[in-house]
Amino acid sequence: MGFLPEVDDALTADSLTTLKRNFGLAPRLYRAQLLRPDLLDAQVRLLDRLLFNKGALSRVQKEFILLAVSAENNNSYFPALHCQTLQFLGVKPEQSQRVAVDHREANLSEPDVVLLDFARKLASSAHSFTDLDVEALRKSDFNDEQILEAVLMVGLAQLLNCIQFGLGIEPDFKPRINLPAKEVNPPVVSERQIPEPELADDFVSDDPDFEIVARVQNGDADAFEELVRKHGRRVYRSLLGILGKPDEAEDALQDAFLKAFQHLSNFERRSRFSTWLVRIAINTGLQRVRSRKEFDSLDEDDEKFRPRNIQPWSDTPEEFYSREELRRLVEREVMKLPAKYRVALMLRDLEELSTEEAAAALGLGVPGLKARVLRGRLMLRESMVQYFSKAGAGKS
Amino acid sequence: MISCQDFITELGNLLDDDVASEIREQLEAHLAHCNTCQVVYDSTRKTLRIVTESGSFEYPEPIAEPLVSKVMDRIRSSCEPENPVRK
Repeated sequence: MGFLPEVDDALTADSLTTLKRNFGLAPRLYRAQLLRPDLLDAQVRLLDRLLFNKGALSRVQKEFILLAVSAENNNSYFPALHCQTLQFLGVKPEQSQRVAVDHREANLSEPDVVLLDFARKLASSAHSFTDLDVEALRKSDFNDEQILEAVLMVGLAQLLNCIQFGLGIEPDFKPRINLPAKEVNPPVVSERQIPEPELADDFVSDDPDFEIVARVQNGDADAFEELVRKHGRRVYRSLLGILGKPDEAEDALQDAFLKAFQHLSNFERRSRFSTWLVRIAINTGLQRVRSRKEFDSLDEDDEKFRPRNIQPWSDTPEEFYSREELRRLVEREVMKLPAKYRVALMLRDLEELSTEEAAAALGLGVPGLKARVLRGRLMLRESMVQYFSKAGAGKS
Repeated sequence: MISCQDFITELGNLLDDDVASEIREQLEAHLAHCNTCQVVYDSTRKTLRIVTESGSFEYPEPIAEPLVSKVMDRIRSSCEPENPVRK
């Protein structure tokens, strides 16, 4: 689990209760320190006083500081934990993720942006920290008690990050955020001193299509052909899955590429070109599906779905079919799913978008997207039983 | 002890390997004694494997080139102001 052995059952009841009440579980970070329960208790008391107790800053502001500083440190453990905690506090995961990547693009209030500027600078460039930085907080109406808490929260984040790095603790939750390379999110101080007007501060630096996109943006329309060849397969597949008919998918593919070309001047490289393009394709496909009124029940709450067909499957049921038979069979059964479940399942399981990306593409929240994907998977499983259960294997 | 409905609710996260270790332990404890959920979990996992490895909805190669040409024709004509593109 970590660099040191874990000891069970040494956590005192009070510490356990405090951690569970505030995090919903006892995070591994603390379970990994059970060799010295006295020191662990001291840390939990510190957390209780600094973070959990009501203070001059709100709990959400404190969690944002912990999240931003951990992201500044390229720490993968805490962003996952704090995003989860912020979700309990009513902050949408998308917003927490934006705070981790770039708090200035996270729709925060102006004072909160200044607060996180302050926190990131103190965390990354403490040597150049001056009274001017404190003054910036005062100008945003933070009082001295709040400023003190902000400094202590940065210190707490550094302590926790250091413990996690030092003990090699693995995340409690699957990390949902891929933090960009360090230069994508430069320390505030260097941003001010060495302006780079040509690049946005959340510029994606590793896009393999960067050069071609730049050529097209500079007027070389023919260079776009390379992008069509390279990404046509993915765009077509997304659209065929959404629309179900090859001729409609081909028409929509043309529309999608044309839209991408026409809006390329607005593409600011905040994501990879391919991600941006697939979003355009999905929106193009969804517009067509909506016009067919297949999405009439889009906003209905889902009733509980109960699996009915409970027959065991063999270990490798696919071996009863040729690759071509499997391809056709999957396409046929996927296309029988109601559109709203089919599209959600396609984006997650065939296009392999992350839950957050798929939710954003469909204009859903993460829980709504997850519910549809699960329903699609269960319905598909139900229809596959006839081919892949031990009783039905080999029939098509 | 969690119910079968609780298990189904968490099944998506379990398939995505997106559950906290304590919840995973509860789900696995449920699986150990519930044959129905064991079959549903196993067959849904295999369904996913079959779907992702099936190569379904691929770009049909014979139409790839004509499609590229059609797209580029529309793009080039959209660049000519006197001949605006029509959808």
